[in-house]
Amino acid sequence: MDEFKSGFFIGGEACEGRVLVVDDEPDIRKVVKMTLQKAGYEVLEAENGEKAIEVINSGENRLLLDVVICDIRMPKINGAEAVAYFRSNYPRVPLIVLTGFPDTDMATSFLRQGVVDYLVKPVEGEKLRSAVARALEQRELAKL
Amino acid sequence: MEISDHTKVAILGAGRDGLALLDLLHHIPSIEIVGITDRNPAAPGLQRARELQIPVIINVPDLIGNHGVNLILDATGDPAMEASLHTHKLPGANILSGSASRLLWKLIRHESKLEAELLQSEKLAGIGSFAAGIAHDINNPLQLILGLAENLAEERDLTAVHEQAQDIIQAVKRTSAICRDLTRYSRRASPHQDVLVPVNDKLDEALKIARYASSLHDIEMSKQYQPGAVVKGNPDELLHVLVNLITNAVHAMERTGGTLTLETTLHDGQVHVRISDTGCGIALDKLDEIFEPFFTTKAPGKGTGLGLYNVKTIVNKMHGAIAVDSHIDRGTTFTLTFPNAKPAGQGYLS
Repeated sequence: MDEFKSGFFIGGEACEGRVLVVDDEPDIRKVVKMTLQKAGYEVLEAENGEKAIEVINSGENRLLLDVVICDIRMPKINGAEAVAYFRSNYPRVPLIVLTGFPDTDMATSFLRQGVVDYLVKPVEGEKLRSAVARALEQRELAKL
Repeated sequence: MEISDHTKVAILGAGRDGLALLDLLHHIPSIEIVGITDRNPAAPGLQRARELQIPVIINVPDLIGNHGVNLILDATGDPAMEASLHTHKLPGANILSGSASRLLWKLIRHESKLEAELLQSEKLAGIGSFAAGIAHDINNPLQLILGLAENLAEERDLTAVHEQAQDIIQAVKRTSAICRDLTRYSRRASPHQDVLVPVNDKLDEALKIARYASSLHDIEMSKQYQPGAVVKGNPDELLHVLVNLITNAVHAMERTGGTLTLETTLHDGQVHVRISDTGCGIALDKLDEIFEPFFTTKAPGKGTGLGLYNVKTIVNKMHGAIAVDSHIDRGTTFTLTFPNAKPAGQGYLS
């Protein structure tokens, strides 16, 4: 049964997990949300690193947030700063970087910091969903 | 080109050679063309002189005997002219005629070609730093297009299909605008195309380009435009000047954030363009050097050191001036001053 896996119930529907999408472009948040909701994820949004930190620190998110998908080039607290914050304060929440700018050095540095995936836009829905599924597996492993 | 003294030039002959001299010399700030003359009222140089608001004088002695002319350029190719010049010229005025005059024209043309090359190479070197910005602005709409297209393949709701198809069209348009802006910016400025340029529009256009070079995310924008700010010059070159100054201003605030102020004012027949930042500032002992070629504070490979040198060259060519005021940790203001080119009595719609 679903509730014995990683899922919990929201409004009577099985939920695969709670994902926070951090991107300054509403269009990107919209399509990522659309893509993940189809696979049964609950998707929260934040428009920059500062908002993302607010979201993860509010209420049950502290415990129930499963994955963060984070852009890099953003106002206020940018992606790199947000990643550093998440890694040191919420090391159990897996992070996926989703960026418009492919940069090998940056990718290496993020992966060293413990980011589970570095995806370059545009990314196919299937690839995004499997990255999230992999990240969730990691979270489950970390819980053990 | 460095000519230290102010030179007052009279051009004789407004045919092909005279026209070329006129076009080249009027860009040089230390040279004042007091007038041009030709026996043929339909000579192309006379028409050009009127466009440039340079006096067309019918009578040769009138032109060379007055106005404090100290250099006479004879581009008539008429051997009889030389003798007549010596009788009418003021004492102390020099005459260049025949091949000497053509040689001068060739040298100036060569110099202005080199200047154009320098400008172009600096511009292209700068475009390398746009990569991150361009990638961001192209890949974001592509993500939207891909996501929506994947969804459309399964979407049953016809209203949603229509909406998402519209979103895709808009995203494609935004992406193509990026290429249009950048190709317009990167093209070689066409020579001798002085037209009336509305400065406020150019500032907005420059801001669009500067976004690629540096993130404007944490920068507050303040625009204070006075309508009717119009200058005369090459629009591509002016755009380059503004992109350069805006990019520098944004870089100065990279670590701290701050306010970018773009301001135009009209005063006493002059247009003032101010580009201010509240960033790191320039040290007093560096202020004198910033317009020198190859001066840069950037890391090797990051800047060509030709940015402000080219800016100054272009501004001078437009008969303008550039001034800088800077305080460490408080910010920098560049002020450009140009003659207001707004035709008298005409309203300008901006």
